[in-house]
Amino acid sequence: MNFPILSLLILTPIIGALTLSLSSSTQLKNKTIFLSGLWITTGEFILSLLLPIFYDKSKNGYQFIEFHTWFDKFDINYYVGVDGVSIPLILLTTFLVPICLLCSINSIQNRAKEFVIYFLLLESFIIGVFVSIDLVIFYVFFEAVLIPMFLIIGIWGGENRLYATFKFFLYTLAGSVLMLLAIIYIISKVKSGNIELISDFTFDQQVELVLFLCFFASFAVKVPMFPFHTWLPDAHVQAPTSGSVILAGVLLKLGAYGFIRLSLPFFEHASIYFQPMIFALSCVAIVYTSIVAIRQLDMKKMIAYSSVAHMGFVTIGIFTLTQDGINGAYFQMISHGIVSAALFLIVGVVYERHHTRMISDYSGVTNVMPKYSFFFMVFMLSSVGLPGTSGFVGEFLVIMSTISVSVYLTFFTAIGVILGASYMLLLYKNINFGDLKSDIKQLADLTNIEIFYFSCLAFLTILLGIYPKLLFEMINKSISLSII
Amino acid sequence: MINLYQFIPEIFILSLILITLCFGLFNKDRAISLNTLGFILLSILLLNYGKDFYSSTQLSLNTINLFVLSKIILSIGSIVFILLLKRPLKNENLYRYEYVLFILFAILGSFVLISSNNFLTAFIGLELQSLSLYLMAAFNTKNLSSNEAGIKYFSLGALSSGFLLFGISMIYYDTGSFNIQNLDNFTSISEIGISLVLISLFFKVSAAPFHIWTPDVYEGSPTISTLFFATLPKFASLIFLFRVYQELNISDIKSLNYIFQMVCAISLLVGVYGAITQRVIKRLLAFSSINHIGFILLGIMSYQFMSEGTLFLYLIIYLITTFGIFAVLLNLRTVDGEFTKISQLNGLRFTSNSKSISMLVFFFSLAGIPPFAGFFAKFFILSASINDGFIFLSIIAVLSSVIAAFYYLTIIKNMFFNKLEIELLDDNNKTGKVIFIASGLIITLFFIYPDPLINLVDNLFK
Repeated sequence: MNFPILSLLILTPIIGALTLSLSSSTQLKNKTIFLSGLWITTGEFILSLLLPIFYDKSKNGYQFIEFHTWFDKFDINYYVGVDGVSIPLILLTTFLVPICLLCSINSIQNRAKEFVIYFLLLESFIIGVFVSIDLVIFYVFFEAVLIPMFLIIGIWGGENRLYATFKFFLYTLAGSVLMLLAIIYIISKVKSGNIELISDFTFDQQVELVLFLCFFASFAVKVPMFPFHTWLPDAHVQAPTSGSVILAGVLLKLGAYGFIRLSLPFFEHASIYFQPMIFALSCVAIVYTSIVAIRQLDMKKMIAYSSVAHMGFVTIGIFTLTQDGINGAYFQMISHGIVSAALFLIVGVVYERHHTRMISDYSGVTNVMPKYSFFFMVFMLSSVGLPGTSGFVGEFLVIMSTISVSVYLTFFTAIGVILGASYMLLLYKNINFGDLKSDIKQLADLTNIEIFYFSCLAFLTILLGIYPKLLFEMINKSISLSII
Repeated sequence: MINLYQFIPEIFILSLILITLCFGLFNKDRAISLNTLGFILLSILLLNYGKDFYSSTQLSLNTINLFVLSKIILSIGSIVFILLLKRPLKNENLYRYEYVLFILFAILGSFVLISSNNFLTAFIGLELQSLSLYLMAAFNTKNLSSNEAGIKYFSLGALSSGFLLFGISMIYYDTGSFNIQNLDNFTSISEIGISLVLISLFFKVSAAPFHIWTPDVYEGSPTISTLFFATLPKFASLIFLFRVYQELNISDIKSLNYIFQMVCAISLLVGVYGAITQRVIKRLLAFSSINHIGFILLGIMSYQFMSEGTLFLYLIIYLITTFGIFAVLLNLRTVDGEFTKISQLNGLRFTSNSKSISMLVFFFSLAGIPPFAGFFAKFFILSASINDGFIFLSIIAVLSSVIAAFYYLTIIKNMFFNKLEIELLDDNNKTGKVIFIASGLIITLFFIYPDPLINLVDNLFK
C-alpha cells in the first residue's frame, strides 16, 4: 500500500495543533476547543484502526514502510514502519488521548487551548516513537515527548507541581543522554541507523555490555525500574488526571517497548549477561513497591506504586527471553495501559467532586455512587488479575515463563500477585464500603460522558481477558523474531 | 606586486567606514540604512563571487571555503544586528551614529582576523576588533556598571593581548617566521609560544578558566552590546582558533592537545556550574555561553571526522538562537529601564504569546532537546567527537547538558508556570519581533526541512 498512513498519523495531530494555535483564543469557548480537539483525536483513532485491518499478519518484518533521506551526509533517514509489536501500542495511544481530552472538559478551565495543543503534540510524538525504525528519529521522538509532558504537569498540576515536573524531566533526560551516546557509537560502527541492520551486527562483547547499560539507563528510568522509580509517584500525584492517564497508559510503555524493540535484538549476548540483575531489580520492584503501596494514604500515590510493581512483571517477562514471557509481558503492558489509565480516571472522578485524594476522606461511596463503584470494581479486579479480565492473562504467562528460569523468581512474582490483591482490595474497601461520611453525601454519580469512557475501557479489559488471541495473533510473529 | 583582488571584502568595509564617517557630518540618522544596504551588498557579493576573490592565492580550496563562509555569516549577522540596534539604543538615550562605526571597525577586525595567514596581521585584526568592543561595553557613560564593564574588559583584554604578543615573539624567536601556515620544525619554545597564543584566544572566546570577565561584562554593558559580544566577534575568534588548531596540527602536539582538552572539559563544567545560581539573565547567558564554547571546542578538536561542517552548523545554529533570545530580551523593558532579573519574566505567557513561545523554543534548543535545531547541532558534534575517540569528553559534555537543562527549564518555568507579577512593557519593536519569530521558525523547522542550512554548510566543503 503506497498510502503514507504512518506519516499521516504523525502529522494529523501536529496540523490540528497548528490550526488551533492560529485561531484567536479570545473568541473560542473552552468547550469548542475541546470539541475540536476531540474531533481531531477521534479522527486519528479511526485512521489508526486502518493499521490492524491492512496489516498482513503472515509476513515478516515491517510494513507500511516509508523512506525519505533526511540528513544525506550523515546517513540519517526518515524511515518509518510498523510491525505487530508497535500496532497495539499505537492503537492504545490513539484510544487513550480522546479519553484524556474527554475527562478534562470540566476540570481544565484555564488555558484550555494550550492544553489541547500540548496533548495533540504529545500524541504525535508518541506515535512517532512507535513507528520509527531508524535510531536517530526514534531518539528524537523519544525525547520530544518530554516537552509537552513537562508543560502539562507544570501548568495544570497540583501544589507541588514544579518539583514533580523538574524531577520527571531531569531524571528522564539524564537517562536518555547516555542512550544518545550509545546511539552515536552504534551509528559510527554500523554506518547506519537502520534498526534491522543493527540487529544483524555483532559488537565486541565488552562494548556490547557498556552499550546495553547505556540503553538500560534510559529505558529503566522510563519503565520505571526499582532504583530509578522515584520520579513516578511525584509526577503522578502532581499531574492532572489526564496527565496521569497518558503517563501511566502510554509513556511508561515507551521504556518496555524500547527493551523489546532495541535492547533485545541489538545486544543478544548482553541481554543474557544482565538477566540476573534485571530479575533482581524487578523482584525488588514487585515486592518492595507493593508493600509501599499498601501503606499509602493518597490514592494516586498508591496506584502509582502499583504501576511500578506491574511494570516489574513486564521487565521480568521480557528478560526471560522466551516467547511466552515476552508475549505475557507485552500483554501485561497493554492491559496495564488500559487498567491503570482507568484507575487514574476513577481517582480523577472523585477528586473532581470532592477535591481530596486522601483515602481516609472517603468512606461508603457506594451508597451515593453505585455506578462508580461498579466500574471501580471491574478495574480493581482486572488490576488484581482476576481470570476473565485482561490483567490475568499477562501475569499468568509471565509467572509461567519464569518457572523455566528459576523457581525463586516464580516465588517472588507470585508474592507480588498476592500483595497486589491486598492493596487493591484494601483501597476498594476503604473507599466504597463502610459508613457513609456526611460530607460525601452530596456527591453526584457518574455523568453520561464518564459512563461512556468507562464502559469503553471496561469493555476492552473484559474483551482482552476473554479473547486474548486477538492480541496474540497480532504480536506472535513479530515477537518470535526478536527473540534470540 | 600584491594582488588587491583578495582584499575586496575588507576594502569594501573600509570604504563603508569612510562613507559613514563623511555621511555622519551631515545626516546622522541615515547611518543605519546606509550600512544595512552596504552589508546586503557585501553578502550578495560574497555569496556570488566569494571564491573568485581568493582564486589567485595559493590557499587550499578548504581554506578559501572557510574564509568565504565565515565572512558571509559575519556580514549577514551584521545586517541583523544593525537592523536591531536602533530602538534599544534610543530607549536608553544612547543612540549616536558612532555606535555603528564601532560595529564596522569590529567587523573589519574580524574579517582581517579570519583571513590572516600571519600572526602579526591576526594581532592587528584582533586588536581592531577588541578596541571597538571595549568602547561598546562602556557606551552607556552615565551608567556606573557600564563603565566598570568597559574598564574590566579593557584591562583584562590588554593583558591577554600581552600574552598574545609574547607568544608570537617566542614563536618568531624559535622559527624566524610569523607565518601560520607552513610552521614546522619547531621546538618546545614555540610550543610555549603557541600555548600563550592559545590562552589569549581562549580569553577572547571566554573559554574557562579564562572566562572571569564574561559575566561582569555581559551584565554591565548595554544589552545590545552584550548581544554583539556574544555573537559576531566571538564567532570570528573561534574561526581563527580553529584555523590555528588546524594549520599548526595541534592534534599532533601532545602538550598543546592536552591543554585544549582540559580547557574544553573545564568550560563545559564551569559553564553549567556557574549558571545554576544566577538570577540575572545576562549573567546566566554568559555562563551558558561558556558551556557552549566547551561544545564548540569539542567540535574544533574533532573536525577531522566530519569536516568543518559540523562545527559551522553548530556555530550557525548557536548564533541564530542567541540573536533570537536577545531580540526578545531587547523587546522587553521594565518601568525603570532595561529588564535584568530572571524573575521579572514571571508570567510572560499571559502577556505575550509570540515572545514566550519563541523563548521556549530557544531555551529547549539550547538545552539540546529534540526536535529543535540545537539538538541536531549537539548530535553532530558528539558524533564527530565519539568517532574521533573523545569518549570521556563526550560523556562530560552530555552530562553538562543535563545540568544545563535545569536552568533553561527554570526560565521556562518562570514564563509558563509562575503567575504574572509585574507586567513588562512591550517595546513593540517590529524589526525585533520579525527577527525573533524568524529565528524561532528556523530553529523549529530545521527538524522538518534541514536542507537549506545543511546545503549552505555542505556546498562550501566539497
